[in-house]
Amino acid sequence: MNQEKMIGQWFSQIGLVIRLEMSKTFFSRRGLWVYLLALAPVLIWLGHSLSEINNRKERQALNAAHPVSNAALRSITPGMTIDEVLEKAGEPFAKVEFHRPNASFDSYQYTDGDNVFVFTFRNSRLLGINERDRDTIPKDSLIFAGVFQFFYLRLAIFFGCVGVFTNLFRGEMLDKSLHFYLLTPIRREILALGKYVAGLIATVVIFCTSTFLQLAALSLHFTGSEVSEYLAGPGWGHVASYMGVTAAACLGYGSIFLAVGLLFKNPIIPAATVLVWEGMNIFLPAALKKVSVIFYLQSLSPVVAPPDANMPALQKLLVTAAEPARPAVAVLGLLALTIVVLAVAARKARQLEINYSTD
Amino acid sequence: MQDRIVDRIILDNVSRFYGEVLGVNRVTLSIPPGITSLVGPNGSGKTTLMNLITGLVRPTRGSIRVLGVSPADPEKLFRICGYATQFDSFPRGMTGFQFVYNYLRLSGMTHDDCERTTAFAIGRVNLGEAAHRKVAGYSKGMRQRIRLAQAIAHDPRVLILDEPLNGLDPLVRAETIALFREFAAEGRHIIVSSHILHEVDTISDQVILLSNGYVVAEGQIRGVREEMSEHPMQVIIRCTRANVLASRVFEQDHVVEVRLHADGGGLLVKTRDADRFYKALNHLALDGLGIESVAPADDNVNSLYEYLIGGEESTR
Repeated sequence: MNQEKMIGQWFSQIGLVIRLEMSKTFFSRRGLWVYLLALAPVLIWLGHSLSEINNRKERQALNAAHPVSNAALRSITPGMTIDEVLEKAGEPFAKVEFHRPNASFDSYQYTDGDNVFVFTFRNSRLLGINERDRDTIPKDSLIFAGVFQFFYLRLAIFFGCVGVFTNLFRGEMLDKSLHFYLLTPIRREILALGKYVAGLIATVVIFCTSTFLQLAALSLHFTGSEVSEYLAGPGWGHVASYMGVTAAACLGYGSIFLAVGLLFKNPIIPAATVLVWEGMNIFLPAALKKVSVIFYLQSLSPVVAPPDANMPALQKLLVTAAEPARPAVAVLGLLALTIVVLAVAARKARQLEINYSTD
Repeated sequence: MQDRIVDRIILDNVSRFYGEVLGVNRVTLSIPPGITSLVGPNGSGKTTLMNLITGLVRPTRGSIRVLGVSPADPEKLFRICGYATQFDSFPRGMTGFQFVYNYLRLSGMTHDDCERTTAFAIGRVNLGEAAHRKVAGYSKGMRQRIRLAQAIAHDPRVLILDEPLNGLDPLVRAETIALFREFAAEGRHIIVSSHILHEVDTISDQVILLSNGYVVAEGQIRGVREEMSEHPMQVIIRCTRANVLASRVFEQDHVVEVRLHADGGGLLVKTRDADRFYKALNHLALDGLGIESVAPADDNVNSLYEYLIGGEESTR
């Protein structure tokens, strides 16, 4: 068989393996929880949006009952008396009064329909103003970046890939049906590649759909004009980047867990090791950071996630700063990592044996 | 020499260990075309040997060539080789037709060729009517046959079948054996493992007897029998004066054991020299001992097997 024909046949075999694997990957009962992992953040953002919509309705109703403008509320400054505040803003929608031995405190709450202002008085003098702004797109964008990088990438996609990719070989070992592939004239490396691509298609479809739905769910509580303005600006770029990062996560983690499924009978311990390695990425020296998937994914993320404000000071000392990789470098780095891991997986697939009794 | 290599399945000093457990040890075989049966009790190494030949497991030591092709090269091997394993599990959700068709497509055939070939293979194992039913709903015998269909679909020159007659009803069993014979007559290699020794006896051109991972004998059934000069031949004699006959035959130096039947109407004689025994029996028959019938008890695989493997391991 000449080389051209042989390569053509490999592509054809990869296509056939993908076709055979698709229904198993998308519709296997064993993989049901992957859908739940992908759906969970959508539901969380949807809940957040519905709650925000509800809050805004309440604020608008309160503002209708106790009308006051944003300008009037912003003109109030500390030191004013209760009477001066009442003159500027009228009656609050909520009033709380409490007494201490040496002082009396009053708390007045106002809303302009969007934001909530809490004025705290001490002995009838305005002590402080606490403003609870309504959610804005930039604000939610930062929250989304944090959740996306720290939870969605590191947990949902990570475990989703564990479920899908370790099962590509291991699942068939458990079902005792892997040998049917091995009894056909297909190179084991081609089989591993075909299975990997099938897993990749499944995870990319599931998790990219989830990413898109999360962003859509998140935008539900903003007005049409706010959303249009955001999309006309960086919005579509962010959407595309987040989906790209999601696909890249499936690419990287997928290769790792394909290899894990081939190298280990029980993938839990190696998966936990990878999880710890990825989790401690921020503490690793710059050179070691690059031997991880999360480093490249974070470099590719369109919004830099704010650091964890609750991190203990001692822990903060251990964090090592490293310049995020440039997008091209991040993509190449991730591809290089994926190719190396796939090469290891292919080599293991070449040596694969059928020994169901011990698997 | 080259012709011999490309016409035979050759195992050269092959050993396979699972950790410290022996799979097969120092197996050297040269299997010619025709039907070859692997016989041995559970754990004797039959399936390991088949898995080694098909590359599902790799030898710890030694080398294997299937008509000149290494089992480490599945791309070439499974164009000439089909293997029906005894693993009774299938990919989920497939019909019998899809099962054969899908794996056949991986060999590079076009859709039309695959459809035609699949239908033909399923027809050969008489499963045409059930072809479009889910394999999960098949009986054991039907699952056995669909595996056979998958193994023969690409018209292999080497067919390896692990317990292929298990679960088949007598009619289908006869048809399947006829199919094996047809393949063998075409000059193909058919390697069959079975516990049902009487079937092996009737279908095999040669047998390979395995015990505890070792090949204890190989060759044509009669040839193997003759090789075992130390193996006493057993003869059953029915007669009216069995006890007298027993004492008379036991005087012969080549007779090693005589057992009277429980009903007192016959005896089993074990002798190392059949020719001398029959001559002596002719003389004894003239003495009015009432000999009714004389029949060899063991010129089959079963007796050989019992002898070679030892009385502790029962044949199945």
